[in-house]
Formats: sequence, structure tokens, C-alpha cells
Amino acid sequence: MRRALIVDDSPSMRQMVGFTLRQGGFDVIEAENGQDALQKLQASVVDLIITDLNMPVMDGITLIQHVRQQPAMKSKPILMLTTEGLAAKKEQGKAAGATGWIVKPFDPDKLLLTITKVLP
Amino acid sequence: MKIDLSQFRQTFLQESADHLVSMEAGLLQLRSAPDDVDLLNSIFRSAHSIKGGAGSFGLNNLVRFTHSLENLLDRLRSLEIQATEAVIGILLQSVDVLRGMLEAAVGPDSGAVAAMPVAALELAERIEALMPGEAGAFKTITQDAVPQVEDGRETKLYEVQFRPDQELFSSGTNPIVLLRNLAALGTVSCCHLHAEELPALAYLNPSQCYLSWTMELASASEEHELREVFEFVEHLAEISVQRIDAPEQPEPGQATAQYPVVAQTFAGPAPARAQAAAMPMAAAKKSVSGGESSSIRVAIDKVDRLIDLVGELVIAQVMTVQMVEDFEPSCLPKLREAVASMERNTRELHERVMAVRMLPVGTLFQRYTRTVYDIAQATGKQIRLEMDGEETEIDKSMLELLGDPVTHLIRNAADHGIEAAAARLAAGKPEEGLILLKAFHRAGRIVIEVADDGAGIDTDKVRGKAIERGLIGPDSQLSADQLRMLIFEPGFSTREEISDLSGRGVGMDVVKRNVQQLNGAIALTSVLGCGSTVSIELPLTLAILEGLLVRVADRTLVLPLLSVIETVPLCDGEIVRFAEQGEVVVIRSESVPLLRLSRYLELAPEASNADAANAEAKHRRLAVIVEAGQKKVGLVVDELLGQQQVVVKSLERHLHKIDGLMGATILGDGCVAPIVDVSGIAALNLFSLQLPNKMSRQVLSSTQSVRAASI
Repeated sequence: MRRALIVDDSPSMRQMVGFTLRQGGFDVIEAENGQDALQKLQASVVDLIITDLNMPVMDGITLIQHVRQQPAMKSKPILMLTTEGLAAKKEQGKAAGATGWIVKPFDPDKLLLTITKVLP
Repeated sequence: MKIDLSQFRQTFLQESADHLVSMEAGLLQLRSAPDDVDLLNSIFRSAHSIKGGAGSFGLNNLVRFTHSLENLLDRLRSLEIQATEAVIGILLQSVDVLRGMLEAAVGPDSGAVAAMPVAALELAERIEALMPGEAGAFKTITQDAVPQVEDGRETKLYEVQFRPDQELFSSGTNPIVLLRNLAALGTVSCCHLHAEELPALAYLNPSQCYLSWTMELASASEEHELREVFEFVEHLAEISVQRIDAPEQPEPGQATAQYPVVAQTFAGPAPARAQAAAMPMAAAKKSVSGGESSSIRVAIDKVDRLIDLVGELVIAQVMTVQMVEDFEPSCLPKLREAVASMERNTRELHERVMAVRMLPVGTLFQRYTRTVYDIAQATGKQIRLEMDGEETEIDKSMLELLGDPVTHLIRNAADHGIEAAAARLAAGKPEEGLILLKAFHRAGRIVIEVADDGAGIDTDKVRGKAIERGLIGPDSQLSADQLRMLIFEPGFSTREEISDLSGRGVGMDVVKRNVQQLNGAIALTSVLGCGSTVSIELPLTLAILEGLLVRVADRTLVLPLLSVIETVPLCDGEIVRFAEQGEVVVIRSESVPLLRLSRYLELAPEASNADAANAEAKHRRLAVIVEAGQKKVGLVVDELLGQQQVVVKSLERHLHKIDGLMGATILGDGCVAPIVDVSGIAALNLFSLQLPNKMSRQVLSSTQSVRAASI
């Protein structure tokens, strides 16, 4: 089974994304900020990372930078959850090495569709 | 696949309510630190999260409003705009508006169709006015355009070139996925792989991409749909999509025409605005109040400990079963040990489960910062609210019921207690008034104290007012304490003019009644010129109460010990009967109405034969004098059995609500004992309600047959 890591400080967002991914046949791990995510990544191997950008402790951009520095995860698909109007953030995310993005409001069908763009 | 997210709506709403609380607290902090970027960031994050979630549930009004709020907060955190008092005021009002919108969204699918509340429209305009550079910009909310799809689209032939940078893999992109997705849009007639740049193996860096592709594709999709496949790699590749079956190239302007921008204005069409005006927020709020969440959030370590305990309990239980199965007298000590361990675990489990319902009072206290801020703004006074003991825990249901009385006390302190700045300076006090809100434990009970350093209560004024209101006679000799307690009398107000903030003088008696309903007590101390302190003392939980066990006929009843004032033996001579209407007992020249519980609950022996009459006559009966809300009632009982803590169980869940009973408990021997609702009894009109209560009869006979099967 494919496994995805969701990183978001909002429990409801994690619930919704998690629910959608499970429906889409994923095993789901959750983390509430970048630092938490890095810890979870040490313990398990994932096929996909979906991360929010605005988070306390460690934000999404920093997380992506850290992940990309690790050889084993250099080419892991990472999707960032962004909001329209924050184009600058999206550019930062792209520069940091995000594979793609999902624009909020979160829509489950859109998420699954987006995943097919980055994951075989 | 259509995935339904509505099951997460409740979580979202609860979470958003929490965000509002922290936004509010943050905004109030911001007043003393307007440049605190961390604080501004966390406020921004709260607004941002609400907006993000609201979109998923189709709460468009909420999205639109938080969107403009977010713009303002974004400028604040980049320090483009100063967080002045005026700005903070607007933001606080926005929090109120959001709260109203969220409350209106509690019902399923409500909010999605409702018009934008007027308050929100007005505030959005004011928020806009704060950002001159972007004025009018948030009126237009662009949405992702859905390209028009015509039926029976023609198949077109495209040539697609995809030349990724060498660094493509560093973004986690898998080119095969892209090619497959492209192929899924039509039929690939030709795919050419360009491997010219591929170096010799010795020079090959496996983390770089050296390949590129050209494909011919027959597809009914539009060009932009093909381009969309490469949406995420536009910055990492050269992509060209060209039609090769038609000679004419699309005009440059056409691409934008394919993305029509759907513009909506904040204000909406005039009728919608009128409709919004017709539906005030309060109405929306009222309609959903029934659906209020009754969930509780429990710290994970509390839950872990519960699971541990249950685990230990299971082990002890398994051990016991084994020992009982192959029982030999020699294992008796071990069996004892196992039973003792079960007992220990059960007791701890009980305590811990009760603790799950306990919440820190800080969750309640938080909101008062705002209350005080509002009053200070409205009255022009300077008031600081300090809190202490926010971590003190109290039963959740109690916390909810405490909200209103404490609000009232805080308002009273801020509005009536604290003087205007000039008066304070004249009295030699600091300009800024102080209200201290404290919670602490005292003798197994929780105390909540509201203290102010204001003017205090002028007992002479109280006396004058009380005489004027007819509460006391003109020549009554009352101590200062007794005079001060008069403010808890219904209809008493020491202030000449009625204030909008703390309302009419209806407050204090209602506060007292509310506290008594919680089995609590209220006390007041005040020093003229130095301030007043009101303290509320409450049991830790409503689920357990200290009970006085009494016998009435053949039943055991429980009276809440807190309401009991005294017990007096009843002699016939002291009982005054009013024919067919009731009786009173005179105690120290005070008449106290009597209620024969046996008759009220129909517990009297039905046979009125001589034996029973004799027995009754010999028996010295007792009256337990209880007090509730200023009223005293004497409850006639046969015997006092003792005093113990009882766990209150609801009757309504199993049976029917009975006037005069607040629930029942299960005694050590497994019998069900009804608990008398003293304030309910006091509220009865004793002079017309001496008739047997049919309903209670039925219920009591059913409780009699109920035996406790579990704890």
C-alpha cells in the first residue's frame, strides 16, 4: 500500500486530507508541523508528502528544504497546500523543491486528481 | 469519486471557535505590543486556517470575509500598517462577526446559501478603507474559471515537446507520470525519445535528467488542458504544445479568453443585501443554539492513563477467574490480593474518569479580557483584568453554567465598581482600575473570586435604597454585612441610572440563584473606598454531592447536605395547620412551611389501620429545614440515616422528569435512592400542592424494582 505523510497544523485539515487519501487507497501518517514531519520521516518511508506552508515551529518551505537535502528523499513527490493570492509562497515552495501544489479551499476530488499528476 | 467531507464539519467548527478565542486573546495582547511579529503571525495563521477550512464546506461568506481580514493581517505582519487601537478595534469586531457566522454555520448546509450578514458587509468596507492601496480589490473575488466544455468536441492533432531541465528530479517529479497523463488525454500516434544528451555511463549523474520527448497526440482536449499536465514543471522544462492539423495558430489573446474571470462583489445584488439586513445575526444564532456541541477534549495523557488502568483491571480480572476455576484453599491470600488490586484499580479508574470531565477554568476566564476591554472602551475608564489560578480544574458542565454569573460579576465590577479615572486620582488611587479574577481550591471545593479596587459598597446608600424599595423597615437594625447582602435581593440596584453595559439591576439576585442551582454559595466583602470582592464557592462537580440520607416511610431518600440548615424534632404543638391547604412549623418565631415528603411522593403506608396510626404517633418525626433561593422549607422525614457522598445519576434518561427530584443514586447495598431537588421543592407552591403527585408514585415504584447492575 502506498503511504502518504500529511503535514498541517489544523487537525480538521489533516482529518479531511487523511480521509480523502485513505479513500484513495493510501496509508496515512500525520504530522502537525515541519519538525514533527521530519521526525515521522525518520521512522517511516513514505511515497508522498502533502504539506501546509503556514505552520508554527517549522513551516512548510523549511520542511521541503530539509527533505530535499536527504539523499533518500531527493526525488519524493511533495505537494504543498497553498492559498490563492499567496503567489510568492508558491514560488518559494517551487524553489525549495516542491513537486506540485494544491490550491485551497481543499477539495477531495481535486486532491486525488493532483496526486495522479505526481505519483505513478 | 465524490468524497463527502461533511462529517468533518463539526471538527472544523470547533477548531475555528478555538482559533477565534486565540485570535481574540492575541489581539488584546497586541494592544501592548503592536509590533510583535510573532503574535501577528499567529493571529494571521488563525484567520488563514479558518478560511482554508471554510472553503471545503462551501461556507463562502466566511471565506470572503476571512479573505479580506487576512489581507489586512498580512499587511500588519509585514508592518506596512500599524496595529493602532482603531485597527485592533476593527479586528476584534471582525472576530465577533466571524463567531456569528460560525454559529450560523452549525446546522448542516446552513451558511452556504445565507446572505452575508450586514455587520460583515460593513466591517469588510471598513477593513478595506484601512488599505488604501488595495481599495476595492477585495470586492472582486476571482474564482477558478471552469472552461466551457462543448459537447461533441472535434479531435485535434497536437505535437507536444517536453524538454526538462537536468534538475527536474530534484523537484520530485517523475517524467513518466507526466507522459502517461498526457497520453491519457488522447491517442499517441508517435513518441520520440531524445537521448542525445545522455552521457557515457561513467559521466552519468543518476540524479539528473538528460532526456526529452516529442509526442504526437490526437486528442479532443484543448491546448490548455494539455498544458495543464505540465502545470507543476513549467519552471523546470521547456514545453511546447502546437496543433499540427490546422494551419492557423491561435491568436495571442485567445488564451486569456479561455479563462473567463468570474467576478462577484462583496455587496451582492441589492435584494440579497436587503435580505441580509432582514436577518439579524441574533436570529441566526438562536436557531442553532440547540445544536451546540457537547464534545469534550481530553489531554492524551489522561486517556493513556485510563487505558493503562483498564489494562491492569483486565489482568487482575483474568487472574481472579483463573484462581476461582482451580481453587485451592492455599491460593486464598493470592485471591485476596487480586481482588484488592481490582478494587484499587476500580477506585482509581473512577477518579480518573471523573477527571476527564474536568477542564481548566482558564478556558472560561479568557473571554473576560474582552468583556473588560469592551466596558473600558465604552465608559472611557482604564481597567486592567488580572487572572490567577486559570489552571484550576472544574467540571465541564459546571464551567458552562458559570459563564453567565461570572460575566455579570465582572461587568458589575467594571461598570459599577471601578470609578472614572478622575475620581480615582482624587481618591489617591492609580488611574488604572484593577479587577482580579481568581480561582483556587478550598476544602475540596472550588472558589472563584472577582475582586475590584473600586469604590466599594456604600452601606448607607444600600440602606436608603432598601427602605425605599420596602425590602427592610425604616428602623431595622442590620449589620454592615447584612446590609451588603441586600444587593442580592431581587429588584435591588444601588445605581441611579441604568447602564447599557451591566443592564438593569436584575443582576445580583440572578447571579445568586444561578450559583445556588450549582449547589454553590456566594459571599461578598466590601470596604468603602477600597473595593469589593465577590466569591463563589462551588462543589468540584455536579456529578457527586455530599448527601444527607433520610428515611421516609420505607424508602431512603438523599437530601443535598449543602441546602440543609438544621434538623428539628416535630411536636404537634408547634405545627400550625391551615385546613386543606398546608401546614407550617414555627421555629424561633419564624414560620416555615412544611412538606410531608411521604405524602408528596406518596410513600405513606397506605393502610390507615390503628397499628400504623399508633406507630406513627409514637414515632418522633423530624423536620429537615432546607433553604433554596431565600425560601426555607421544612421537609418531614422519619429518620436521619447518615451522611455520605453520592454519585448523581439522571432519572430522565430512564424514566420521567419528576418535580421535586433531581436524580437518583445507588447506595452501597445496591438500592436506588432518589435525590431530592431542594430548589425545585422550594419553587413549588406548597399551599396548593399538597395533593399526591401521581407521576412520582409511578416512578418511585419503578425505581424500587430497579437494582443496580453496575456501578
